Amino acid sequence: MAQLPYIEPEEADEVTKQVYDKAEARFEMVLNIFKITGNAPEIGEKMWEIFFEILKDGQVDWVTKELLILKSTKMGDCLYCVTQHEAVSSRLGVSKEKQQDIVGVEYRNSPHYTEQEVAILDLCSHVVLNPEEIPADVWERVKKHYDDGQVIEILATIGAYLQVSKFGDAMGVELEDAFHGHQPVLFEVDPPKSKAAQKHLEHFKAQSS
Amino acid sequence: MPAVQLLERDNMDASLNELMQTTEDYFGHVPELVKALANNPPMCKTITEFTLQALGPGRIDWALKELIILKTLRSIQCTYSYGAHEKIAADLGVPLEKIGDVANSQWQTSAHYSDAEKALFKLVEQIAEDANDVSDELWEELRNHWDNGQLLEVNAVITTFIMIGRVGDSLGVSDPVLFSKPLKNV
Repeated sequence: MAQLPYIEPEEADEVTKQVYDKAEARFEMVLNIFKITGNAPEIGEKMWEIFFEILKDGQVDWVTKELLILKSTKMGDCLYCVTQHEAVSSRLGVSKEKQQDIVGVEYRNSPHYTEQEVAILDLCSHVVLNPEEIPADVWERVKKHYDDGQVIEILATIGAYLQVSKFGDAMGVELEDAFHGHQPVLFEVDPPKSKAAQKHLEHFKAQSS
Repeated sequence: MPAVQLLERDNMDASLNELMQTTEDYFGHVPELVKALANNPPMCKTITEFTLQALGPGRIDWALKELIILKTLRSIQCTYSYGAHEKIAADLGVPLEKIGDVANSQWQTSAHYSDAEKALFKLVEQIAEDANDVSDELWEELRNHWDNGQLLEVNAVITTFIMIGRVGDSLGVSDPVLFSKPLKNV
């Protein structure tokens, strides 16, 4: 159960209602993670603008950003984000096989990944684990394919999804009923390292069946 | 050299004019991180506006927010802007000893920290270690001291600076001073 109340649309203030309307127009539903920000409307109002901007084609394709989202949130064992973005990635045409090869360093030898995708996934791993140790060759490979504006979009996507995944997980935000029945893709091939996340996954599977 | 070019105002996209004016009015100058983000105007705008909200008075005291930011940066071993946030905390009147006690487990036994503040630091360290594993007991402790809006804000501040620390360190930008004007005018 979430640790703070979800603020439903009918009890939300004007600022939050506008955020919910925008979210619903974009994502067809008001997700629980939006509803929890109704507890501090001024924060939700600014925070979600980042994600409305990321979740579309920008200087980097949306589908490429989905790979970064899957990679960064999987590394934090975020069941909520990984599940949602497996669904989004599938809708955008990323095959199950390609999704699965994103775990660990599988993508490096996977036929589903291009050289430029491998470069930004390598960058992503370093940003998540230790940005003090990003090797020069990783930057070189990233910059061979991406200009400064794209590098910012790549880092912003990774950073923002570290933000929102930890934000949601810390408050125990749960997957919506609409996702019950979703068969985990990434966690199927690479189970969570966190024991707490393992429990969340088991609970989710029980709900799903 | 930072990973991307740092853009000065003259070289930025015109869509950033208003935001740069706000940023300059707020800090007294445009921070280096913002100049780096300016290579991508929509990302620069949304991330800067969200981050500005974390830097200043809110539902919890600004000085306490700064201590939470320092604890967050330490917990994820990120150094971007650490010195700047120490300076903000000091300028807001936090004793240097209390700022020093942010380190490792010093705060746990520090006389400078109240139980309410200690509960927040426990949350910071747990989120940094594994956000999936914040216990019901810790949430109960947090709710004993803080209301829902305050806890949402704290969670936002912690995670915002996980993002800022990671992005700032990855880019290799340096902002030793964030506010180049007196804080009383912020």
